[in-house]
Amino acid sequence: MKISYNWLKDYVAHTLGPQELADKLTMAGLEEEEVIPIGNALDGVLVGHVLETAQHPNADRLTLCQVDLGDGEPVQIVCGAPNVAGGQKVPVATVGTTLMLPSRDNPAEKVAVKLKKAKLRGEVSNGMICAEDELGLSDDHAGIMVLHDDATVGQPFEDYLAALGIAAQDAAIDIAITPNRPDATSHIGVARDVAALENLPLQRPEVTVPEHGGAAAEQIAIEIEDPDGCPRYVGIIVRGVEIKESPAWLKQRLTAIGLRPRNNVVDVTNYVMYECGQPLHAFDFDQIAGAKIIVRASEGGEPFTTLDSKEHTLPEGTLLICDAERPVALAGVMGGENSEVTDATTNILIESAYFDPSTVRRAAKLLGISTDASYRFERGVDRVGQAWAAARAAALITELGGGEIVPGMVDAHPQTPESPTLELRSQRVAQVLGVVVADDEIDQILTALGFSAEHVADGSFRVGVPTWRPDVEREIDLVEEVARIYGYDRIPEPAHTALPNRTPQALPADQLRTQARALLSGLGYRETYTNSLLSKERAETFNQPALATVAGDVVETLNPITQEMTTLRPSLLPGVLSVMAHNQNHGQEVLRFYEFGHVFHRSTTHPGAVPGYAEQEAVLIALSGPTTTIGWDQTPRTSDIYDLKGVTEALLASLRLPPIAMQPVNEATSVSSYHLSLSAGEQPIGVIARLSDELMDAHDLRTPVFFAELNWSLLVDLSTALDAHTYAAVPRFPTVNRDVAVAVARQQAVGPLLDAIRTVGQPLLRDVNVFDLYEGDRIEADQKSVAFALTLGADRTLKDAEVDRQVNAIVKRLVDDFGAVLRQ
Amino acid sequence: MLDVVEALRREMEAERIATEDEVETFRIKYLGQKSGSITNLFKKIREVAPEDRRAFGQQLNALKQATEARLDESRDILRRAAAEAETQTIDLTLPGRRPLTGSVHPLTQTRDDIVRIFERYGFSVADGPEIEDDWHNFTALNFPPDHPARDMQDTLFVEASEGGEGGVLLRTHTSPVQIRVMKDQAPPIRVLAPGRVYRNETISYKSYCLFHQVEGLYVDEGVTFADLKYLLHAFAKAFFGEDVRMRFRPSFFPFTEPSAEVDIWWSDENLPGGGRWLEILGCGMVDPNVLKAVDIDPEKYTGYAFGMGVERPAMLRYGIDDIRVFYENDIRFLEQF
Repeated sequence: MKISYNWLKDYVAHTLGPQELADKLTMAGLEEEEVIPIGNALDGVLVGHVLETAQHPNADRLTLCQVDLGDGEPVQIVCGAPNVAGGQKVPVATVGTTLMLPSRDNPAEKVAVKLKKAKLRGEVSNGMICAEDELGLSDDHAGIMVLHDDATVGQPFEDYLAALGIAAQDAAIDIAITPNRPDATSHIGVARDVAALENLPLQRPEVTVPEHGGAAAEQIAIEIEDPDGCPRYVGIIVRGVEIKESPAWLKQRLTAIGLRPRNNVVDVTNYVMYECGQPLHAFDFDQIAGAKIIVRASEGGEPFTTLDSKEHTLPEGTLLICDAERPVALAGVMGGENSEVTDATTNILIESAYFDPSTVRRAAKLLGISTDASYRFERGVDRVGQAWAAARAAALITELGGGEIVPGMVDAHPQTPESPTLELRSQRVAQVLGVVVADDEIDQILTALGFSAEHVADGSFRVGVPTWRPDVEREIDLVEEVARIYGYDRIPEPAHTALPNRTPQALPADQLRTQARALLSGLGYRETYTNSLLSKERAETFNQPALATVAGDVVETLNPITQEMTTLRPSLLPGVLSVMAHNQNHGQEVLRFYEFGHVFHRSTTHPGAVPGYAEQEAVLIALSGPTTTIGWDQTPRTSDIYDLKGVTEALLASLRLPPIAMQPVNEATSVSSYHLSLSAGEQPIGVIARLSDELMDAHDLRTPVFFAELNWSLLVDLSTALDAHTYAAVPRFPTVNRDVAVAVARQQAVGPLLDAIRTVGQPLLRDVNVFDLYEGDRIEADQKSVAFALTLGADRTLKDAEVDRQVNAIVKRLVDDFGAVLRQ
Repeated sequence: MLDVVEALRREMEAERIATEDEVETFRIKYLGQKSGSITNLFKKIREVAPEDRRAFGQQLNALKQATEARLDESRDILRRAAAEAETQTIDLTLPGRRPLTGSVHPLTQTRDDIVRIFERYGFSVADGPEIEDDWHNFTALNFPPDHPARDMQDTLFVEASEGGEGGVLLRTHTSPVQIRVMKDQAPPIRVLAPGRVYRNETISYKSYCLFHQVEGLYVDEGVTFADLKYLLHAFAKAFFGEDVRMRFRPSFFPFTEPSAEVDIWWSDENLPGGGRWLEILGCGMVDPNVLKAVDIDPEKYTGYAFGMGVERPAMLRYGIDDIRVFYENDIRFLEQF
């Protein structure tokens, strides 16, 4: 909301400059968003008298003017405006004056121009007769500004303006109003904070508020059928008003805060709303059928045209202002076209009501209309400010448009508001703020803000809350009021702070994640952050139960931002595939990524924080493309499943998990060509897989993609990496290495051989590795050779014989169980 | 026989050994297991007259040692020559064989930097779900039933709420973790909740449909607004530099009172005034209604809470002006961190 710097001064006589004022307001909770300077300094602009005019000899559109500037020596000024004429009083910018004029390069931008004595097409010009826009008074550039005939020639133009209530310069301060400050949606409301901050009195305009009844009550009847929606409705009638343009001062003030002036009556209602925060509506009284106002809720479906000529069908329950026959306004939102003030209007009914905030909020939302009025009613206007505002508007209307106020008023108030009284303990202020604010200062702050603070005991106040502060309901709200006026800046930071006598426990998931990131990044993988929201189609494509550790449908949002973001990801894979595609399309060949993130399913079998939903943290590792960059003596190999398997094994090893089984699944799914299914006991923990060719093609990926997606939440639960454990002594005796190569059937998987070796190798076998795998000419066509490197050891120096015995046992098992033939 | 030894010595000493092959030939010729000349003489030691045997043996041994010494010396010379050649000829300008390098996402780095600072002040990390219920996200945090944030326009819902009852949504802030922690633990509570949050916002250079926050909460006896200022000032100094200028200005959040927004002064020569205030976080004293919602006595305990974005400070510190680059994950972007 914009506040006019000049206007504000009507209510508080502060001496702050615009930016200073904005800073003070910011530090009291009314955050400045922008200070917009308005107008120019007009030093050197004088009231001139055009004595006579003559056509410029060399230019059709220019006029030579002899202008008296009050010093008895008329000067010649060349003027291009069509409306200049002899006898006019005009503002003249004399030679040496600096004006803000549109830039030659960019007319929208104004630049400072110092006027010089000039020759225009051969004729001397001693200054410039100005249009309103050249003086920064408005955007009007239709012609020069013509002043009142009684203007004093030679008078500084600023003085001339001041006498009309117009300032040459102003500043609009745009402030952000938080929801707890409905009182600050007006100049008086903001001035109240300034008065409290600067320790100055608040000056409200003197208004004579009539009593209920009188002639007004005989001319209009007001019935409130919905006292909850409308607990108070005040009506004042003004007759014989001439509808016309508002005076310059009023137009200037409204323009300064971004409103467009319309006519004197509408402008006054807006002016009073921005003055005191109470929205008003002016009806053409002659259009109110039956001289009756009925406030009732809509039954629904009624058509209604608002004064912006838009047609609405009213939702049920919308609060309406009706006359004897029909709705004439949407309560608290906007008036109707059928009863608006027009140029032909002479009699006016001013409405000033209190409408229930949630009623107005609902109506505005359902109708999709937001107005200055609804904005204020939704937040809660002063509960008792209606009569004052109506009387203030009536007085201004007669001042500007003539006519007479019908004596009295109608004040329908079926509900009388209760003003809450709160207790405030100064000890509580200290307990919350950490600074002792003296009782006197608390008293002073609250009083300045309009609270009644009664000092009932030492350190205790009984505080009456003003009717314009509906947000203040509890002691803590008072503490906040004290704090913001006292100044957050004045609350000192302690030199020391206490720490609880408890060492913070690191969250295992967090600690292990940090460790895993270091590992994966060290192995050449880059961490990604991808969107959790996908299209439903994409989410379902990647919700493959065979690859997930949680089974369930995908989770959709009710109000998606776009169709591309309707559904929560059931897997991290789609996001990372998009990243791979993006990078491949931008020239990258080595694609190695990992991501940690939450994945979501509908599930009733996985109890989570919110019933019905399974939310897990997952980790995804994905790779595609060469295993290394090109080098002068190395040819990169294309990554395969074993590269990923190794990385995954390294990650799992770092977590110190119980034994993890890796079950090969040589079957394709909708997402994968083949995969390994990882589990800890019965519990699936994830997969290592090759992406299906279909999905590879769908992402235009050129090299095979491999991914491992693991349930990080489960891995953290299973991990013993953070547990205390005792070390195993490093063996002091040397180990013995033996190699064993066997020929087995080509289709024989190596895993079971390794398992057998590990079993039969006990107690001496320490480690076994596959160091060669051969199929080809040197072996029978249906055979392959597998070479194992065995490491044996014990807590003593081994003898050859016992090593031989162990190795022989291993070989025998391979021969017996797998039909292996020992190769020499 | 001694002559034979002497002759052999002369022959041995006269051998030319200039290459690795010649070293090997020399070794085999004199010391080879099968037919080395010195080895062969050892085999003939029995043929020597017993009275000469001793002298012969000694001489032969001396020869063997000399031969071995010659061998070692030759090897040494050759190795030194090779090393010298390598020293002089190796092309040290060829590129190294670089392993692939990975990276940690800048949002993780920024988040970790934030978390690390608060951990020094005794905060520990807590987490919570991203699918949250209305009660934890709004009601318990003192949002009135018709608060605009509960609007479909701002919040992504999974299940509609009716009058603030029973709704399920994507959390709009990390504050519900406060509630989960306070329901679970008794004061003193000092936790930090980093995490992903969602808003119903159109994606543009300055907003994304999701972002990351770090939430802090401290509840204990005697916790004051002054303590909050101290902590956040300490944070700002650690994160933005010792000479950071910051200000606390009053603001409003449903779940804290008094509330504040914290701005830091961001110098920019191109701006009038030489810079501008930038909001970096929101904070305040935990509202008594929030403490009541989790059965903590607000007369006995007070607390403060603060929440900040991760993207914003990351953009500030790296000079990033488009939030979307974080989620694009272009390697040319990622490799800079």
